[in-house]
This record gives sequence, structure tokens and C-alpha cells, in this order.
Amino acid sequence: MKMKRVVSILLAGAMALSLVACGAAAPAAPAAPAEPAAEEPAAEEPAAEPAEEPAAEASDGAITLDMWCIATESDSNRHSYEEAIKEMQAEYPDVTLNWEAFENQSYKTKIKAAVAADEMPDIFFTWSCAFLGDFVNAGKVYCLDDAYQNYKDELPEVMLGNTTYDGKHYGVPLTMNIVGLFANMDLLKEAGYDEIPGSYEEFIACCDALKAKGIIPFGCAGKETWCVTEYLESVIEKSVGADALNDIFLGKATWNNPDVGAAVDTFQGLVNNGYFDPSGIGLTNDEVKANFMAGKYAFYMNGTWNCADFAANEEFFPKVKVGEFPVINADKAKLGQLIGGPSDTLAVAASSENAEKAAEYTFELGKRICHYGYLDGCGLPAWTPYGDTSGINGLTQAVSDICANADSYVLFGDTAMSADDANTYLSYVDQVYGCQVDGTAFIEGLAKDIR
Amino acid sequence: MTDNTHKKRVDFGKGVTIFLFLLPALLLFVGILIAPIIVSVYRSMYDWNGFSEGTFIGLENYKELFTNGSIKFMVGLKNALLIAFFSVFVQLPFSLFLALLLGRKVKGEKTFLSVFFMPVLISTVVIGQLWLKIYNPDYGILNRFLEAVNLGHLKHVWVGEVSTALGAVIVPTIWQYIGYHMLLMYAGVKGVSTDLREAAMLDGATKWQVDRYVVIPIIKPIIRVSVIFAVTGSLKTYDLVRILTEGGPFQTTEVPSTLLENMLFLRNRYGMGSTISVMLIVLCFAFALAITAAFKDKEA
Amino acid sequence: MGKNTKRDTASGYEYTEIKKTNPVTRFITYIFLIFWALVNIFPIYFMFTFSLKSNEEIFGENIIGLPRNWIWENFTSAMNTGNMGRYFANSVLVTTASIAISTFAALMATYALTRIKWRGSKLMNSFLMLGLTIPLQASIVPVYVILSKAHWLNHYSTLIIPYSAFALSMSILISTGFMVDIPYDLDESARIDGCGLWKTFFAIILPLMKPALSTIAIYSYLQCWNEFMFANVFISDSAHRTLPVGIKALSGAYTTDWGPIGAALVIATFPTLIVYIFLSNRIQESFIAGAVKG
Repeated sequence: MKMKRVVSILLAGAMALSLVACGAAAPAAPAAPAEPAAEEPAAEEPAAEPAEEPAAEASDGAITLDMWCIATESDSNRHSYEEAIKEMQAEYPDVTLNWEAFENQSYKTKIKAAVAADEMPDIFFTWSCAFLGDFVNAGKVYCLDDAYQNYKDELPEVMLGNTTYDGKHYGVPLTMNIVGLFANMDLLKEAGYDEIPGSYEEFIACCDALKAKGIIPFGCAGKETWCVTEYLESVIEKSVGADALNDIFLGKATWNNPDVGAAVDTFQGLVNNGYFDPSGIGLTNDEVKANFMAGKYAFYMNGTWNCADFAANEEFFPKVKVGEFPVINADKAKLGQLIGGPSDTLAVAASSENAEKAAEYTFELGKRICHYGYLDGCGLPAWTPYGDTSGINGLTQAVSDICANADSYVLFGDTAMSADDANTYLSYVDQVYGCQVDGTAFIEGLAKDIR
Repeated sequence: MTDNTHKKRVDFGKGVTIFLFLLPALLLFVGILIAPIIVSVYRSMYDWNGFSEGTFIGLENYKELFTNGSIKFMVGLKNALLIAFFSVFVQLPFSLFLALLLGRKVKGEKTFLSVFFMPVLISTVVIGQLWLKIYNPDYGILNRFLEAVNLGHLKHVWVGEVSTALGAVIVPTIWQYIGYHMLLMYAGVKGVSTDLREAAMLDGATKWQVDRYVVIPIIKPIIRVSVIFAVTGSLKTYDLVRILTEGGPFQTTEVPSTLLENMLFLRNRYGMGSTISVMLIVLCFAFALAITAAFKDKEA
Repeated sequence: MGKNTKRDTASGYEYTEIKKTNPVTRFITYIFLIFWALVNIFPIYFMFTFSLKSNEEIFGENIIGLPRNWIWENFTSAMNTGNMGRYFANSVLVTTASIAISTFAALMATYALTRIKWRGSKLMNSFLMLGLTIPLQASIVPVYVILSKAHWLNHYSTLIIPYSAFALSMSILISTGFMVDIPYDLDESARIDGCGLWKTFFAIILPLMKPALSTIAIYSYLQCWNEFMFANVFISDSAHRTLPVGIKALSGAYTTDWGPIGAALVIATFPTLIVYIFLSNRIQESFIAGAVKG
């Protein structure tokens, strides 16, 4: 009952928001349906064809499709893939799916080499925006516009923003995730707080109180710079506002923005005040996460995909809550401006011999992976949820509530930017965390080094 | 006349035989190692992301490699050379010392030899994880030890601080391959005939003198091979850097191989990646030649 | 001469020499050797205990101690979910075949380079030694493109051939050292007996190279067994996956359970260690039989 409400709010919210789009000519759609005009997502284009019965189509001969993904045996998404594929086998008996899973980092090497050698599988996992964009620009990805016509009702068009290039859709989104402020409530209680403080002043006071008690407020893995961006981007967004940050990430505005510089200085202030674990610069995210679960830090800002892991730990789960980073400058930013969005995506290779079939199959598969992933707590659904979703864990539910009130999303900077720029950006973030450069040097350096 | 044709036929037959003997090796070698280098040289002159159309830019990549500070090639090169330095002047002498010691027929020689070689056999992933646990700032053995002996002020976030990170990479790199060189040198030491040693001992030489004046000169060719391996291996260092520091903090521990991989697969700059690999091959080869020449000088 | 006399003198000789040593020096030598042995055994102890621990213990509560609860399930889960048995068998197959191919090619090449006199043999030798300087990463994409154009991906041979090529230079280097030690009179007398170059190689030289094999094998093994990058890029179906890729696949993108990874590492390492211990006697004998020369 309660879940149903959350879901419908979430759905309505999704319609209304402006999701960041990174393609050159992203759909301008989100601006129009500002009201929760739920059911009809992109009303300008009436569904061209009535939704066909998928099984009926696949009758002319059996085919084999290859798929690569990163849902390895120990990945929390593994279960959702397995369930979804099992269902698909029943649904499409004449399609044989050979799927292989690879470890995250090595997959990036593998898929790029495969694109270079024209050895891509029919269906492949990819990250949205720049990662997929490079392949699209090289003409290696099959356009999904035709296949999408049948799924308009189930997959809101705003969710495709990150995989739309020159107005064409190239990806099927799975789950979406945002940056969450996870808090260990036991430690907060020791410092005299029962809730995650709502305003920035209170939040800082809370950090001071924690410090006075000898508790380290934040844990952050300096060895993996993306973990630092989870903090830094939230601080910048809550200082300069979502639109300003978004424009910078997409190259529409210059990095040389004094407000951003000031926000970076704010972040560095947090570091210099000793709110961060000084050992963090030498730790990996696995180590930091283990420390957080062991009660070493009061807060841990990271992706909401962690919900599944936290929920799975019986001892830790009752202690943890998730919230939103407070607003720092209320003139420019407001609550509901979040970092994140749909990034995990399936795409179809242009070289696939059965590209048309594969496209339809990918939509059906993506819908199911999304469904089961949501039930498992691996993230929020990019697709309109269906079926009984009352079983999801409390944390993911809380994230749903945050998203239901979302105003706008800014995608993770290193996903939004092109590969070369993202690495330049990360190296500057690294230097900020290590206090090698200040806010001014950060914005000026990036303005110079990023085209 | 007949003699001459006969000789020619023999020569020709011999030539074919030599060719046939070399064929399997050459096929593998040229197909898998040399052809890709040629491709790399060609690609190093392109601005190319690996999958779309590239643009020919001549030697621009090479120029950028040395002039664009954000590529960090000079940093990587400096680090690799530093590792090579420690490898040649710390690791190899130690390996030689062990090889000589074991070569003297100490009791349990075989057991020690096997044990000393074991780190080489263990996957670098394990070695890396082990050292991460040693360096861990909070519960690592190193910091705990320093605290226990009242040297708490020497504690560091070993792999996270600029001043210590490179050292933290060098120590395990050197340590892991001590056994590798030891085994090579031990083979040489064992090849020195016992009679020769005995004769020297009878002349009143101490054991160290025997090692210094009899054994080391004989195994010099092996030492040369070891030096070449140590230097080229250091230039190609990759695994432990990836696991221990990821090139951080602030890219101060990058080495050419990590930069190469970043260019190829993270930054999508395939042309620049090829440039780095060409540079790496040229450097390795130049060092190998220089080392060989240096040893020749000494031998002469 | 040599071989037999050396062995004969070995046992009697060694004790007289040891007795001559000052007992204090001897004591210090042993203390040092034992200390160094412990330093080298530690990683194995660490890996073994790490494979039996939970994430909590691995990341902080109990890093180097014995596991509090011996979680043998880590091994079952590594074997089951990780399919380690299959990957292990693949690794054994690929490594063995690569060693066999590269060793044979290297022995043939070495024969042509050291025992047949011809102009350019020195140059050819240096050319082949170029292989020692080439970084593996540099050739991934070009080799991948070649292999894919030849429709030659996802077979065992996809890995075996490149591995053999990369192990080749080292193998030639080692076998050169052994082969120049074989007296040249043998070739001469074989020629007088009417043996051609081929027969001399197969009937005379090859059998005498037996002691070199274990050394070549060990060094080639080092190149193949832990290789990750080629194995990751060239092989896409899990049926042909090798251990290093399998171990990596155990760590997920968002979740990593380190116990089973440790167990997989043990599975990957211990059999080799055991084989090595058995083989080490042979290796050392081969060292006594003939030395490596550069």
C-alpha cells in the first residue's frame, strides 16, 4: 500500500524533472510537462504503432544473441540478471542468449578493444553519456528509436536523456542511482543527534560535536578519486545550484566560475577542519566502506547502490539512515537538487546481424533487469515499476522518497564528461582533496585544460 | 667447377635448414611481437581514439609527450628509472649475495633456495594485497610496529602521502624479484667447477676472496643478463603500482605502463598510447644495448 | 668431464668445507637465512589465512592473526560460484601448451643460432632478444585486431600462440646458455657418422638439453600463469577463461567479498607451489649439470 504511493510519486517526479542530458541535442521535453501529468510521457509523439505482442514477432527462425555485462558472480546485480534472463528464456524460446560477465575495470578495457576491432557482442553493457557517446560517434551503436516506440508507456523518455545523441536514442537504461548521505545513527546519537541535520549550519555543528566526541565525521577513499567527487560534487551543487554545475559538466559554461571556486574552498575547509579521516587518502573504497560499516565514521557519501549491501548486513542495517546533503547557499541551490541519474545501460551493436531483434530483446530484458534490481535494492528503477514492490528494503525506499521530491539531477561529472576531460577533472579533484590546489587554482586550471 | 657447385648446393641446403630451424620462432616472434610494434609506430603518428576516423598529425604526439605536463610522462619515466636504479644497486647485489651464500653448500641449501624463490611464483595480486595490509594506516603492521617501539611520530599513510608513496612501491617490487635473480645467478655459481674453487682455497684464499676473484668473473655474463632484466623490467613495471597506489597520490607514482594503459583505455587516446609504447620499447632496447656495451668494456 | 666427478665429490667435500667455517659466522649465516626464509614464507601464510576469513577480519579486525572462525565455505563458494575448477584446468592447459610450443621453437632456434655457423646469426640473436624489451600492453590492440580479422578469438590457441611468442626470447636466452656448454665434438663426430643437421638436433642435442627444460619451463610459466590483460581481452566466453580473469570476475562492481577471492588465490597458487617444490630438486640438478650463460 505504502509502496504503491511511493512508486506513483516517484513516477510523477520522474516525469517532472529535468534529467541531465549529455547528447548534443538532448530532448527538450522535460521543460514542458512541468505538472505531474503522469501517464502520457512524451505526448508530442503519439505512439506510432500499437504495442505488439513481443513473443509473436520472434517466430521466424531461432537466433543466437551474445551479451556482455559486468554482473559478475559476486556483484549485487547478478541476481537481477539471472532472474530476468530466466524469464526471457520462457518468453522468447527461439532466442538463445549467451551472456558473459566481466569485472568492472577490466570490462572497460575489453569493450573498447572490442569496439576497435569490430568484435562487439550483439548486446553490451555500457555507461551512459560520454562512454557510450564515443561509440555512437564512431557509428558502432544501433539506433533504438524504432524499437522504443513500443515501450514509450513503460519507459519515460526523460530516462533516455543520457543515452540520446543528436536526438536519437541508443541505450536502454536499467537502474538509476544518486549520491546518498549515509549516516550511522548510533554515532550521531552519541553526539546528541537523533536525525541527520537538515540545515548546513546544524550539519557543521553536528560534525563539530562528533569530532569533540572523538568520532570521525566522514570516510572517503582518496585512492579512488570518484569517491571524492561524490562529496565534492554535492558541495558544489548545493552551493551554485544544479543548473550551473550541469552547464559546466556539459561544456556549456566555463569552469572559471568564482562561485564554484568558493564551493571548492568550502569543501577544502571541511577537509582542513579535520572532518575527514586523514587515513582516507591511502584507502580504497572497499576499505572505507568496511570502516563505515564497522562504525568508524558517522557519515559516508556514496552511490545509493550501497543500499543493497547495507541492507544485507543484519547487524549494521538498523543503524544506518540515508539523507540528502543540506543546502549551503539557499539563494542558488535548494533541496531536491541531486547528483546522479540513470547510467547503467544496455546497448545494441550496429554490427549485430540481428540488430532489430536484439533491440526489442534488449528492451524486454532491460525492463526485467530493472524490475529485479529494484526489488533487490541495487538502485531505483529507470522503468516504471510493475508488480509487487512491497518487499524492497527501507533504505532504497528512503532513496525513493528523496527522488520523489527531486527537483533536478546532475549526472556524476566523470560520467558526463568525455573520457579525456573526465581524467583531467579527476586529477584536479585529487589535488583538491590533498589540498595541493585551492578553489581558484582548481577553476582556473580546469578552464585552461578542458576545451 | 664441380666442387664449386657442390659447395653452393651445400650452402643452399644449409641455408634452408637454418631457415627451417628458425621458422617456428620467427613466425611467432614477427607475428605477435614485431608486427604490432610496426602498427604502434604507425598509430603513434595519429590523433585517434581507437574506433573512429583518426587524423594524421606526424610527430605531434611525441612533442606533446614531453611538453604537456599533464600527461606526466616525465614523472613516469623518472619513477621507472628510480626503480631501475634500486633494482640494479640494491636488489641485484642482494640476490648475488644470496646466490653466493647458497652456492657454498650450506646445509639445507635446496630448501632455502626453494623458499627464496617462492615470492616470484605468487601472483602479484596476492603480494599487492599483502603489502596493502602492511601499509594500512590504521591497522597495518608497519604503523602498529612503529607505535609499539615508541616511534609513533614516524607513522605515515604510506601509500597516500607524496613523500612515502614511491618508496612504498619500490620496496615490494624489489623484494618480490630478489628470488628471480638469485635463481639465475645461483645457476651460474653452481656452474663454476669445484676444482677451480678448491684450487683457489688451497692457495689460501678466503671464501669471499674465492667468490670475488673466481666466481664473480665467471658468472659475469649472467650478471649482465640480470642487469638487463632488472632495467627493462623496471621500465615495464605495472602490476604493483596499479594495486598499491593506482599512480597516486596526485599522479606522483605513475610509471610509463600505467600511463600507457590510461591513454589507451581510460582517456581513449589511442595514438598517444601508441606513442608511449614506442618510447618504452625504444628506451628498453637502448638500455639493453648500453648495458651490453658497458659490460664489454669491462671485460676487454 | 665434470658431471660425474662433480657429483662424486659433492657430498664428501661439502662437510669438510663447512667444518672449517668459524661457528659464529655459521650461526649468523643461518640466523640470516632463516630470517629471510620467514620473510618469504609470510605471504603464503597470509594468503592462506586470508582465504578463511570474513570481510570484517580481512579489513581491520584481524589482519595477520589466525582466522577466528575458519570459514571453509569460502573455498566452496569460490569453487561453485566462481567456477574455479574449470578456469584452473584452462590455465593448466594454456600454460602447458604455451611452454611446450615456446620451448620447442626456442630449442630449434637456439640450435640454428649456436651450433650452425652462418653469417648473421649474431644479428638474428639480437633481433630475437628484442622480445625481452617489449611491454605486453603495447601490443594488445594490434594483436587483437589481427586475431579478430583471422576469426581466431575464443579458442585456447588464441592465448597459447601469443603466450608462446612472449615466452620465446627468455627461453632462447636460457637454452643458449645450456646449449653452448654441450661439447662441439659431438656434432663433429655425428657429422662423420653421417648424421645431417636434423638428425644431430633430434638424436643428439635434444636429449642432452633435458636438464635445461625445467629451468626454461619455470621462467616461461612465470610469464603465462598470471597473465591477465591478454586473457581478459581475447577471451569472451567463460568456457575458455583462465584463472587470473576468473579471480577478477569474483570481485563485483559494487560489492566485493574478499574471502572467496582469497580462496581462489589459494586455489591458483598452491598447486604450483607444490609442483614447484617437487620440481625444485630437478631444477637444482639441472643447474649443477650446466650453467646458464648469457
